[in-house]
Amino acid sequence: MTAYLVRRIAALVPVLVVVVTVAFLLIHLIPGDPVSVMLGPDATPAQIHAARQALGLDRPLWEQLLKFYTRILRGDLGQSYFLDRPVTQALLERAEPTLVLTFSALLVAVVIGVPSGIVAAAQPGSLWDRALMLAALLGVCVPGFWLSLNFIYLFAVRLGWLPAAGYASILVDPLAALRYMVLPAVSLGFSQSALIARISRSCMLEVLAQDYIRTARAKGLSPAAVTWMHAFRNALVPVVTVIGITMAILIGGAVVTEIVFNIPGLGRLIISAVLRRDYPVVQGVILVTATAYVLINLVVDMLYVLIDPRIGYE
Amino acid sequence: MSPGRFRRSSVAFVALLAFVSSAALAQTPRRGGVLRVGNLGEPPALDAHWTTASITETLTNHLYEGLYSLDASNRPIPMLAESHTVSRDGLTYTFKLRQSVKFHNGKEMTSEDVVASLARWSKQSIYGKALFAQVADWRAVDRYAVEMRLKEKSAIVLISLAVPNNFGAIYPKEIAEKFPPEVKVTEYVGTGPFKLAEWKPDQYIRMVRFDEYKSRAEKPNGYGGGKTAWVDEIRWIPVPEVATRVAQVETGELEFADDLNLDAYDRLQTNPNVRTIVSKPYYWLVAVFNKKDGLMTNAKLRQAWQAAIDIEPIMKNVAGGRAEFYRMDSSLAPVEIAAWHTKLAGLPWNEHNRDKARRLLKEAGYRGEPIRFMTTQEYKWMYDFALLTKQQLEDVGFTIDLQVVDWATLVKRRNNPKEYDVFTTGMGAFYDPTHHIYLTASWPGWTTDEDILRLQAELARETDPRKRMALWEAQTRQFYEKVPVIRYGDLFGLRAMRTVVKGFNERTERIRFYNVWLDK
Repeated sequence: MTAYLVRRIAALVPVLVVVVTVAFLLIHLIPGDPVSVMLGPDATPAQIHAARQALGLDRPLWEQLLKFYTRILRGDLGQSYFLDRPVTQALLERAEPTLVLTFSALLVAVVIGVPSGIVAAAQPGSLWDRALMLAALLGVCVPGFWLSLNFIYLFAVRLGWLPAAGYASILVDPLAALRYMVLPAVSLGFSQSALIARISRSCMLEVLAQDYIRTARAKGLSPAAVTWMHAFRNALVPVVTVIGITMAILIGGAVVTEIVFNIPGLGRLIISAVLRRDYPVVQGVILVTATAYVLINLVVDMLYVLIDPRIGYE
Repeated sequence: MSPGRFRRSSVAFVALLAFVSSAALAQTPRRGGVLRVGNLGEPPALDAHWTTASITETLTNHLYEGLYSLDASNRPIPMLAESHTVSRDGLTYTFKLRQSVKFHNGKEMTSEDVVASLARWSKQSIYGKALFAQVADWRAVDRYAVEMRLKEKSAIVLISLAVPNNFGAIYPKEIAEKFPPEVKVTEYVGTGPFKLAEWKPDQYIRMVRFDEYKSRAEKPNGYGGGKTAWVDEIRWIPVPEVATRVAQVETGELEFADDLNLDAYDRLQTNPNVRTIVSKPYYWLVAVFNKKDGLMTNAKLRQAWQAAIDIEPIMKNVAGGRAEFYRMDSSLAPVEIAAWHTKLAGLPWNEHNRDKARRLLKEAGYRGEPIRFMTTQEYKWMYDFALLTKQQLEDVGFTIDLQVVDWATLVKRRNNPKEYDVFTTGMGAFYDPTHHIYLTASWPGWTTDEDILRLQAELARETDPRKRMALWEAQTRQFYEKVPVIRYGDLFGLRAMRTVVKGFNERTERIRFYNVWLDK
């Protein structure tokens, strides 16, 4: 088990090297230039040239890449062109909102998704099953930004129950943080819950068709005991996988939600960094997201062992 | 009078009295409060010398001041300068500075700060460069006087020192000398009515009242005159999603929202707590030709474009079908810049003459080669007018290769003459004829026409206002003959504020919050 863990963590290195290199090349190869964006629409080519030199952007690409690698080895992700601060600092500032949003959305998704899937599977073909799966289908189909904007219009503008957008730190003002987080977490979590519900349902159906479930029923266990004690845990492995993937998606992919609700997280950071061609920031966010992705996968793999004793890693 | 009627009328009288006095109260400025302003993004810098970005212009004008500013009719008026004198030969300007003006760090502003700041500005800002090309010597005379000696007579000294964009902000000498012109300043110390308290990128910029601010004695006038920081704090909140900005001003989470989409106009107008503002001038839409390389170096082809387009339907469409948001005008300076607005008859503007366009295409020897027309969807109005232009042009025989890229790509590519033929952008307010960047050889598109450049040079030298106007009218005629760019119509912008915001000057191109108070 330990050996496996070490091997998995060691395997992280080549993955990250590839990710970092590809990210570096992609962002540098697409046209556009941070200096032209920063100097504004009326800047002249001479001004732009001088500022490019000041940032070292006139150096050959391979030289910039080499510098980038040596810096990373020292744990330095570079300096943001636009934000006038180290990339690591920018990332740390954005980590809290994204993590809070991720976990609250995940909570919403799991709390809605897993029970609906199980209830639907318990009586396949029933009215409950159909209604829940229709809702899940809607959840998958409705675009996130549309849902978000309608939530804002209904709950903030029309009813005035919740703020339309913004963010408060849970460390500073937990109550305000909660008020700000409800709409984004629900609109993001709802669409993710749809996927979890569908997976939970199909896994449950598969397990419920097994012989040992028939045996459990035959020996007179109540339907609730059969569903929750015997079937649920066995159906859990793929569900946990999906939850893990969902979480990874949320960390790097809550972009639309962060923009609509004006949450200063990593998703908003990478979008603005791409539009501004703030290369060091784009690379930094990709590096961090990729690392999070790989680590979450690792944790999910470890969880399998706890859920299902038959699984072991040698 | 019956008792009933008496009671009714006295009630009405009291109500009227209450209304009148509350209206009078509302007009009395009060101190205090936080004014939250939603705008569309993060500034690339808070260094006024360094960038032409409009967001930087808006923000830095609350922190810093220049020697001159613009009055309500967009003419220069003194700000940090007390007065100036010009020598008889017109070659030496001596500026007297106001005394006991403090920087945010407590230091007094003196001539050494002015000399160092404008020296830095002269190397980086487009306006500074243009002015200092005419300057032979720039030095301090004494603690409160500076002197500018010119190589030749100049018409642009005061206006260049007064423009709000990329402006000659006065920094303390130590800062102006510490940061080379091409490197942005990261220590923010000015003389403005607000000082920077905190900047959290993508979250907010907090500016608080500068208690030692020394206001001019005059009344507020345009961008200049007396300035009072009534609110304790301006909190600039970047809200990149425009629908969110609209919602937040509706809910009262923002007191002011800038740059809104025009389709929010109706909804905002139904809200009794919100006041909508049509902002003008905003931009005139423009298609800029690459005159250095490729197809559009051919003047006939550019003239054909100008002859072909029917501007009104394009403007109407871009403005969401609303007459409040566009204006048809051929003058290169908008109506709001009264000094330079022209009313010339017989210009070949908005001719939509298809036969003329076809004839010009033939004379140009054009055989349907694709013309690369670069635009972006990041600014919806640019994309919309490019698309409508493409349709109109293809109707008369042009082949338009519309290249939709993001803004960062567009502003990069437009510097390379090999990469495009035409690009879209918008022209904001230029306060002097010499500031119209599309009439220069250095700005993308590269206008190198001898007659245009000669007139620009004359405009920079000629100091008699009447002769300058005649030159500007001649330049306008040249413009429509040589067609360096296509001037479409004026587009207006939309802003909204809560009705508790008082004292806001709605007539300036960009927003300012000194002299603004909150009535709550």
